[in-house]
Amino acid sequence: MLNKKQLKYLREYGILYILILPVILFFIVYHILPIIGMKIAFEDYRIIGDNIFVGLKHFKYLFSSPSFKTIIVNTLTLSFMKMILIFPIPIMISFLINEVKNSKFRQVVQISLYIPHFLSWVIIAGVWISFLSPTYGAINNIINIFGGTDIDFMTSKSYIRWVLVASEMWRSAGWDSILYLAAILKIDKNLYEAAMLDGASKLQSAMYVTLPSIKSTIITVFILNLGFFMNAGFDQVFNFMNPSVLSVIDILDTYTYRIGLETGLYSVATATSVFKGVIGFVLILGANKLVKKSSGKGLW
Amino acid sequence: MKKITLTNIVVGFILMLFMIYALQPILNLLALSLTHPDSVQELTGLDIFPKNLSLLNYKFILSNPSIVRGIFNSILYTALGVTLSVSFTVITAFVLTRKKLIGRKLFILLTIFVMVFEPGIVPEYLVMKDFHLLGSMWSIILYKMVNVYYLIIMMRFFEEIPESIEEAALIDGANPIQMLVKIFAPMSKSSIGTITLFYAVYRWNEYFRSGIYLSSQPGKWPLQVVLRQFVVLDDTQSMVGGFDAMSQVYGSVNFEALQAAAIIVGMVPILMLYPIILRNFTKGTFEGSSK
Repeated sequence: MLNKKQLKYLREYGILYILILPVILFFIVYHILPIIGMKIAFEDYRIIGDNIFVGLKHFKYLFSSPSFKTIIVNTLTLSFMKMILIFPIPIMISFLINEVKNSKFRQVVQISLYIPHFLSWVIIAGVWISFLSPTYGAINNIINIFGGTDIDFMTSKSYIRWVLVASEMWRSAGWDSILYLAAILKIDKNLYEAAMLDGASKLQSAMYVTLPSIKSTIITVFILNLGFFMNAGFDQVFNFMNPSVLSVIDILDTYTYRIGLETGLYSVATATSVFKGVIGFVLILGANKLVKKSSGKGLW
Repeated sequence: MKKITLTNIVVGFILMLFMIYALQPILNLLALSLTHPDSVQELTGLDIFPKNLSLLNYKFILSNPSIVRGIFNSILYTALGVTLSVSFTVITAFVLTRKKLIGRKLFILLTIFVMVFEPGIVPEYLVMKDFHLLGSMWSIILYKMVNVYYLIIMMRFFEEIPESIEEAALIDGANPIQMLVKIFAPMSKSSIGTITLFYAVYRWNEYFRSGIYLSSQPGKWPLQVVLRQFVVLDDTQSMVGGFDAMSQVYGSVNFEALQAAAIIVGMVPILMLYPIILRNFTKGTFEGSSK
């Protein structure tokens, strides 16, 4: 029997449990069951009957397969290139926007630079295929003006990684600057006046006032990016992929998709996900710890 | 005291370059889509204005059954998905911020676990298969029904509502549902607006799960999957039936211009939402400095 206090609790709060019941079911079906389903990485998949436990067989297959080294190298190279080449750009953009005093021009700049962020990767790929087209694309038109010959960027092994960097920058550099811009706007205006009185130039006050003031934001964003290092931008690679460049931009996630859903090697694909998940998990926890250390509060 | 200094010129010039970089590819596609098929040869990649202005490409695109069905499906999935997502995200955030709720900590822990732990596409696919959801639109409408990041945004907001308001409502005899509908929801209109936009953009742009879960049912594909087939994979073949018939009616057809028109059609809802997006997401950076 329930006592009076429990009855009162149920009367007041019982309805809340009913309200979130659908959400609990959703979490079970879409999150918990797939996590349990990861055990297929340690099993041989059978359509009829129970799967057979095979230990690390699929991991051994994965690690000894010739593609494995390639996809690891591709994943790390792409992530590294994007981090080094793209990371500073939004910071630079935020500094530049902050210097613009004319509010009309400032808004036009912001409106233009933020648009690409909201487009789907399918559309971005469509835009870039056209932008880089050897027959009618803008870039090849420019190359032609300077007397060069057409380059088919999308199918070129030596250019495709640069295409990925350039298109990622196109999509995210403008929007990512917003975070820094918000941080810059919080800086005490008196600091700039003091710097000006000391005879600092615009560049000097940017270097010695603005930059140190938003240092913690920069560090936090950088560390968080590190946490997602193994991702290397699946949606982008998936849409920019074609057979000619497979060997240089095939990353962990595209490999998982291909051997899992196209070839049907469910167990090996899941083993790849487990491998990536473990590294990603460690990276994210590590990143969170680092953020906590540098700024006092973490993601959670 | 407006004066043009060297710094202003340099800053303005660099920002102009960034603007051209961001907009030119899109404007060129727009120009291409508005160019008459017969004049496409005259248009270069650098142009941002159409040659021989014509809406013929859009006429083709918007009378192609695959694309029209894609548009219809996308609108349906976005409307249904956003309604479900926003309702359940708000409800869950409300429930999880009731401090006296037994099991609250456990559930919050679960959501964080779910956030950092991604099982990968194959186990997710197999669960959909086991539940016979493959080929059903519910497989993708329910996917990410509650996005944990947006749930946390909502919870943070509800946590900031003073407890005194809650207590006052309790004394007046309000039950939890009345409290949510009459007090919490109206107080958090702007946060709800923000997550609605997040979900809407996400739903409209989603192509990956739809492409997998609905792969055997082209009639249920959202527009992004149709676009991927037509533009990214350059599969004009599957569209040819429709286009062939049309080219007999309209004369010439240019596939590049058609693809451009299809891409622009896929952008339209985002561009329509864009002013609201800017108002909501820019964290006051628009107002700028007053120095």
